[in-house]
Amino acid sequence: MTLSEKYGTEIAEILSRYPVKRSALIPLLYLAQREGGYITEAAMIEIAGILKLTPPQVYETATFYTMLNLKPVGTFHIQVCKSLMCALVGSDTVIGWIKAKLGIGPGETTADGLFTLTAVECLAACGTGPMMQINDDYYERLTEEKVDRILADLKSTGSCALKTGPFMWPEPARNG
Amino acid sequence: MPESKTDSVRLTIDGIPVTVPKGTLVIEAARRVGVMIPHFCYHPKLKPDANCRMCLVEVEKMPKLQTSCSTVATEGMAVRTATTVVNDAHKSVLEFILANHPLDCPVCDQGGRCDLQDFSHQYTATASRFVETKRIFQKEYFSPLIETQMNRCVQCLRCVRYCDEVMDVKALAPAGRGTMTEIKTFGTHELDCEFCGGCVQICPVGAITSRLSMYEYRPWMLKRADTVCQFCGDGCQITVQTKDNELIEVNSEYGAGRNSGDLCARGFFGFRATGHPDRLTKPLIRRNGALVETTWEEALEYTAQQIARIKNAHGAQAFGGLISGRCTNEELYLFQKFMRLAIGTNNLDSSARYGHMNGVQAMRRVQGTHRWTLSFEEIVQADVLLLVGTNVTETNPITGLKVKEAVKKRQARLFTIESIRPAIGTISNITNLVDQHVCALPTQFGGAVLALLKAVVESRLVDQRLQHESPDYVGAVTQALERLSWPELEAATGAARDTFVQMATGLAQGRRVVVLAGQELLRSAGGYGSCLLLLDLLLLTGKLTEPGCGFAPLAEENNDQGAVESGAVAELLPGGLDLANPEARARIARAWKADLPLAAGATLVEMIDRARSGLVKGMLIVGENPVGSLPTVVGAKEALQRLEFLVCQELFLTETASLAHVVLPAASSLEKAGTFTNQEGHVQAVRPAVDPIGESRPDWEILSALSVLLGTPLEYGDAKELLKEIRGVIPGYGLLGPAPIPPKVDRAAVERYLAGDYRRALAARYTLAGPADAAGGTTHLGLFQSLFHSGKLSTRSKGLLQIEAQAALRINPADAARLALADGDRVRLSNRRGEVTTTVKVLERVPEGSAWFPDHFGQDTAKLFECAIDPDTNVPAFRTASVSIAKIS
Amino acid sequence: MTKLKAWFKTIIFYEILVGMKATLSHLLHYKPITLQYPHEKRALPDNYRGMLALLRYDDGTEKCVGCDLCEAACPSRVIRVVSAEVPGEPTKRYSKEYYMDMTRCLFCGMCVDACPVDALGMTREFEWAVYDKRQLHLNKEQLLAIGDRSFPVREKRLELQHPNVAFFNVSFGHVPQKPN
Repeated sequence: MTLSEKYGTEIAEILSRYPVKRSALIPLLYLAQREGGYITEAAMIEIAGILKLTPPQVYETATFYTMLNLKPVGTFHIQVCKSLMCALVGSDTVIGWIKAKLGIGPGETTADGLFTLTAVECLAACGTGPMMQINDDYYERLTEEKVDRILADLKSTGSCALKTGPFMWPEPARNG
Repeated sequence: MPESKTDSVRLTIDGIPVTVPKGTLVIEAARRVGVMIPHFCYHPKLKPDANCRMCLVEVEKMPKLQTSCSTVATEGMAVRTATTVVNDAHKSVLEFILANHPLDCPVCDQGGRCDLQDFSHQYTATASRFVETKRIFQKEYFSPLIETQMNRCVQCLRCVRYCDEVMDVKALAPAGRGTMTEIKTFGTHELDCEFCGGCVQICPVGAITSRLSMYEYRPWMLKRADTVCQFCGDGCQITVQTKDNELIEVNSEYGAGRNSGDLCARGFFGFRATGHPDRLTKPLIRRNGALVETTWEEALEYTAQQIARIKNAHGAQAFGGLISGRCTNEELYLFQKFMRLAIGTNNLDSSARYGHMNGVQAMRRVQGTHRWTLSFEEIVQADVLLLVGTNVTETNPITGLKVKEAVKKRQARLFTIESIRPAIGTISNITNLVDQHVCALPTQFGGAVLALLKAVVESRLVDQRLQHESPDYVGAVTQALERLSWPELEAATGAARDTFVQMATGLAQGRRVVVLAGQELLRSAGGYGSCLLLLDLLLLTGKLTEPGCGFAPLAEENNDQGAVESGAVAELLPGGLDLANPEARARIARAWKADLPLAAGATLVEMIDRARSGLVKGMLIVGENPVGSLPTVVGAKEALQRLEFLVCQELFLTETASLAHVVLPAASSLEKAGTFTNQEGHVQAVRPAVDPIGESRPDWEILSALSVLLGTPLEYGDAKELLKEIRGVIPGYGLLGPAPIPPKVDRAAVERYLAGDYRRALAARYTLAGPADAAGGTTHLGLFQSLFHSGKLSTRSKGLLQIEAQAALRINPADAARLALADGDRVRLSNRRGEVTTTVKVLERVPEGSAWFPDHFGQDTAKLFECAIDPDTNVPAFRTASVSIAKIS
Repeated sequence: MTKLKAWFKTIIFYEILVGMKATLSHLLHYKPITLQYPHEKRALPDNYRGMLALLRYDDGTEKCVGCDLCEAACPSRVIRVVSAEVPGEPTKRYSKEYYMDMTRCLFCGMCVDACPVDALGMTREFEWAVYDKRQLHLNKEQLLAIGDRSFPVREKRLELQHPNVAFFNVSFGHVPQKPN
């Protein structure tokens, strides 16, 4: 089933937001990503057709943004911040813990298709590093115990109470 | 151009004062005074991008270094390019680029002409401070023609920008980010594009190279010859690079020639035909029914003897001649002189007859010129463009680029009447850029122009002065248009009245209106009438005589225009003079010091008819292939078989040449000197790049030798001597300058037309063409020119065959779905005249209900087409037919 | 006194004796220095510039990448290289044909200097007198054979030497090649 068959009205709504058709590219790519966790070639070709772009132009945008996945990802997409602030407080060790726990390095997916690990650039939670984002949720001030608990909770229940959402300054009372 | 004080600025570059027009970039200003600022991403054709940071310069009163490629020169600016700070900046930029650049210059085809190599020698130390492992991209596919080596890429994005801004193809994109940015097409898919070679030419390093000549040369070994492309009427200047008499590559320098350095697939990859093993290297003579190799002496003597025999036995009118529009002006001129003097007949024609004559005769009738009153510059500067039946991307790609430039860079309004649907595809589509588009069948282009005329008249857009000065003409046209009703027109063209009104208003409002008529119009039945209608349109809106406005029929073969101007058509003498005009005849007779034959000559199809009926006994065919080109219904093969004597001068043993009694091997245009006239009427020099293959000789030498043997010596030392004579005969000919000087519209001719000449066949051209050919069938089959092919040369050219090896029928996705067809399926095309089988390619740009078959592969499909002869210009029109399509499982 | 000395030198042919000193001394203790070539041969220095040769890597593949730089460097137009893509190994370059016209060579060694991959070497072979000059027009096989017998110790392949040259003229063999 093509995107426009499935999300016809939503696509029309997105297109109506922008005076220039091409501007709707990223929202449409997000829509396509929502479909299967990643953007398929067929989806890119379809989006190119909708926006009157050539497929390479869509591909160019899709490869530029690390938030857009071009390969299938697990149910839980772990994105560990590797930028300077988090690196200073030990983002490497976080990746190390996850690797020890799940046996996957950055860019890899576990055999059961549950977890995918990626190292990403700054997620704008520099005050609360080391931190990671799993799907849409932030997990901050990570410690080894916290990572263990997060991964165990996600595996068993599919969600974890440690998710914080980006902290604003000043920091609210700590939870967990 | 005089620069007034207000639109120029003065600045100094390294202390050298320079005055440049306002808006000039600093890097260009520096180039003017001979200061070369190193750069990768800047190219004068492209918008500044300033991504490579190589062109940093110091500007006084600016705190930091500026990129000279994006800084506009301002009054009093003081730029310094040779300070330590600048030098250090260049050094560090280069060091970062070289951090990842592989040291494979020895095996890189760009080595020796590489910007990065040159700058490295200029700036950096020999050792790198980076010890880290360099980035490596894995390759996912190999293009047959365009090889990408992304490890060498400096990420200047020139190729991507060229593909988008100039070509409008958008096949390349930078995938990924940062260091790992890679120039790719789409995912792991193979590059499928126009293959214009622009990315190869524009790449400053060796990241994109031509695979066709990969590793066969090093740049310093190449010998170059600047000559003119042999494929279409655009007349692009090409630089042919050869090594040891072998063709290696073709390119075109920035700013060179009429194309200003842009080429198409045919120009860039089509040159290998010249060295094809099928080339004829020795004269052939028919003995016991078979063509066998012989010597030049024997072949020429036998030919002369046979010609003399036919002439003596049956008179000069029993002989006819055909020449290809791919020969040089000198050859075309000598050919017609040979036919008219040595043989004594006007039975001669050239491939301009296939369609170009329609445009030329219309221009002669209405505006009194036989060439454009425009040049490419006027197309670029136009503010309103009307394209009718051009399919310009595929037929005349460089004219297409001029149109794209006008629309994309100069915001011209584009109106098209084409049989193309706007669609994004692997090759660019001019109708994607339109303001208003009418998608009509080629048979209804005339109808669409009529609708446009009707809209002009009804919306009261007729030029006031014309209305005042020639009320008869305006009245007659208005009356003729009143007989047509809108519902009829809308049904025929498939476009609403409003579209035409919009177009008409746009045309009337435009200050510089250019009308381009393409092959599809010129080669369709009623092409002459449609050209007249377009000229009527320009007249009515008052644009015809305005500067910057005009009508431009596009030529298919590179020297169609030259053929007309050299008099290599039955009804015209050199210089576009009318054969029937006694004054013109006297002038040419004076120049030639000999009398011209009086009887009107037979044209292409007439000659074939006469050959069939036995009136024409002998023919001389130079590079033309009527058997392969004309539809079966004309019966060219049977007619030529009946000839007592047929001599062909050919590069290859074509369908026609294989019927000949004598075949003389001719040299290709890369092997001889001469001149070509492009469609603008610009005469450009053709220079030999390689020696003629085998014993082949230039056509003019063969004709000259024959004339001597026939006792009417037309002897010339070289092609230059011929050109000298042509210049004597045709005043003002041979504008071998950088740009043509287009003629002005002849007011006397316009007045003659308005005074009453317009009445001739007025009613006929102001009627809507009937429904298309009724040979049984629902699909409209049209022959169209593929971007990658143009005839016997391209179909023997290695590079082009790698892009498109076989003919495939193009059909619309909707039709394909209806017939359950996919790419590569076999189908049977049939109508009352016959049937053929072919494969299918689904293409979105094809209108529904139409199917396109590439011309030049059309030998099989030739039997499906009817041939209509234009009563005024004798142009055979055979490019449309109706067929039914059935899938073969 | 000086007059007397001069007169004495004149009568005993002193100048001649001085001039003949070296000759006379060798006449006394005679030791031949001529080598009995071809029975005896000189020991040649390591930097001797003799016959040119093409070399191979330790796995037997030829080093030459067909870059034509030797051809460009040669002052007497000895070398002719015809380079091409290695069949079956797309984008890898090699010399399809390689000729040296040794009749013209002046053994300057510029080609060896120019070679970016050290594919050329100068051997210590010099006995290349032939009856027919055409035999001095050597092709690639002959030049490789000279290299084989003169340079038994070979380098390992370039791509194994350093990761940064791992991408120098390697093929993309794993990529399915498009039929040409």
